[in-house]
Amino acid sequence: MITDSPRFEPFSPDPHAVISESGEWIAPFDLDLDDDTLRGMYRNLVLARLIDERLVRLQRLGKTSFVAPGAGHEGAQVGIAHAIEIGRDWLYPYYRDTGLVAAIGWPLEKLFGQMLATRADPARGRQMPAHPGSRALNVFTVASPIASHVPPAVGTALSQKIAGKGDVTVCTFGDGATSEGDWHAGVNFAGAQGAPIVFACENNRYAISVDLNHQTGSGGIAAKAHAYGMPGYLVDGMDVLACYYVMREVVANAREGLGPALVEMAVYRYGPHSSADDDSRYRPAEEVAAWRLRDPIARLRRFLERRSLWGDEAEEGLRSEIAGELDEAVAAAEAAGPQDVDTLFEDVFAELPAHLERQRERYRLARRAAGEDG
Amino acid sequence: MRELTIKDAINEALHQAMEADPDVILMGEDIAGGGGRDEHPGAMDAWGGPFGVTQGLATRFGRDRVMDTTIAEAGFFGAAVGAAMTGLRPVVELMYVDFAGVAYDQLLNQAAKVRYMFGGKQRVPMVVRTVVGAGFRAGAEHSQTLYSLFTHVPGLKTVAPSSAADAKGLLLTAIQDDDPVVFFEHKRLYMTKEHVPEEAVPIPFGKAKIVRAGKDLTIVAIQRAVQFAQEAAEALAVLGIDVEIIDPRTYSPLDESAILTSVAKTGHVLIVDESYPRCGLATDIAALIADQGFDSLKGPVKRLTAPHTPVPFSPPLEDAYLPLAPKIVAAARALLRA
Repeated sequence: MITDSPRFEPFSPDPHAVISESGEWIAPFDLDLDDDTLRGMYRNLVLARLIDERLVRLQRLGKTSFVAPGAGHEGAQVGIAHAIEIGRDWLYPYYRDTGLVAAIGWPLEKLFGQMLATRADPARGRQMPAHPGSRALNVFTVASPIASHVPPAVGTALSQKIAGKGDVTVCTFGDGATSEGDWHAGVNFAGAQGAPIVFACENNRYAISVDLNHQTGSGGIAAKAHAYGMPGYLVDGMDVLACYYVMREVVANAREGLGPALVEMAVYRYGPHSSADDDSRYRPAEEVAAWRLRDPIARLRRFLERRSLWGDEAEEGLRSEIAGELDEAVAAAEAAGPQDVDTLFEDVFAELPAHLERQRERYRLARRAAGEDG
Repeated sequence: MRELTIKDAINEALHQAMEADPDVILMGEDIAGGGGRDEHPGAMDAWGGPFGVTQGLATRFGRDRVMDTTIAEAGFFGAAVGAAMTGLRPVVELMYVDFAGVAYDQLLNQAAKVRYMFGGKQRVPMVVRTVVGAGFRAGAEHSQTLYSLFTHVPGLKTVAPSSAADAKGLLLTAIQDDDPVVFFEHKRLYMTKEHVPEEAVPIPFGKAKIVRAGKDLTIVAIQRAVQFAQEAAEALAVLGIDVEIIDPRTYSPLDESAILTSVAKTGHVLIVDESYPRCGLATDIAALIADQGFDSLKGPVKRLTAPHTPVPFSPPLEDAYLPLAPKIVAAARALLRA
């Protein structure tokens, strides 16, 4: 429990930030993170960025069919990852959160196994790329229909409330998701029940090509919390420490039974919505360039450099170390080989029903007749 | 011997399941008191759902376990998925199956797929109880059956009891099942009575019931059609036609062999369902017989269903709409040229 928690004001007109663009600590409370934790956060930011670059490359090589680039979201994602208790709390991410699941320590071999749908994928190749999930780490398998994971996240929080152990759920989504009926049904239900859940919006101002002003008349996302009886916080999503501290506070509140909260993190997606999108057709290049100048990685690096915790040598070492880990993970994920066709029939139900057993047998015979394995 | 109505048999099954397992919770609109006002004790039992099926449960188990939800089916269906994933066994009430549309994505893409998408590492033990059926003078949006919308989806189990003992035993099985189950309760059968064992005895899924044994004609009857088929069988017996009635009871999984065995014996089959015919259960069962029972057929596979229109409100129209006993008798006679 955090007893000396700094208090952030909900519904502030300007986003909360704790480090300035030039890397100065500007919060009215003292930093209470040790140097290793700060460097660990920095590592996770760089890791997320490099995974993103690697995934785009894998997609261009034709090794995976889909990526949802997350560059520009790392501050929000790493802030969330460090604010929860991994494996105790539940996380309901969305499809742009590959950086988030990497930051909570999901093994890279599994992450690339998921992207490549090989035997290294714990979900056995069932999910489309960029849809991670981990039973071991309490990460819900990402849902494609926008915001449809929000009501299940609320149900998990209700279950945690009934169990009474102080566990919480964090549910993330983009700005577009907040227009969906499921989002409102879920957030309202959480408010009515006082469920221990934090709704975290990675607001990058675009739902594919539709800008925020065409998505909502609310002016922002945090304001919507008013209507559901919970605090709403606006945070500078390019400031990883601000995201972390706000998340830490609302997670602690939920843990103590003070109910849900909505956190809006103002981020920007540097790349297209997905590998199937060309963002240059709807976003001015100057806007992208201006946001890139506010990069969360550069900002934390300036902060660390001011404290003599980072430098060029460390940067070079970190990047080559991560590149090596990625090479290894991709190689291991590829080497695991494709899933066996037989697995197609498994896990529809707890037990294989008779009709699926018969269908599996028919498929085996057909494959054998065609001279394939089976 | 003690007799219970289907409604009371379901209520008893819920009591016994909640008694036996503290993880079983109920969620739905108006299933506790409806008012949510704990300071007004009468509200605890005021409703119990529109048919009073859950009456008494909030008083017995408290509002933490018998939860009046917000009027947002997508919200509480989804919440049931997330709760089922993390240790609870939610039994959710969908007031009428006609309202499934507003919550369908949570069943179609979440409840039904979570196990598969998690690579088999996550279960979703939830039950959706819902009310189906025409004949209640309730119009197009309170009278549908829609079994096929759910049976169509891999990962969902579907159950439609036609008698009180089956309702109790199958609901107990549904609650213990580790996969999502949709449990259809026919509003015109709620007051149907029969002997129901007092003990909690689950009835396995995928086992059809031979409601009546016969040698001339197989009637596969879907839920309330079992009642219509029984009336018709009496009339047909007078004409010397010996009817066998099969109630599949569960549609996912479906007891294919019971149907095929009966058809192999009689050589003639009529499938009766009050649902829409296109892509419906009757059509699905007809396809099964054509595909796997063709050699034992002595005549065409016949379906008797509602017409492919919405359920009308007008009482004479609604009566004309349903596959009532006289239509079954006529269809059976035409099929057997008798």
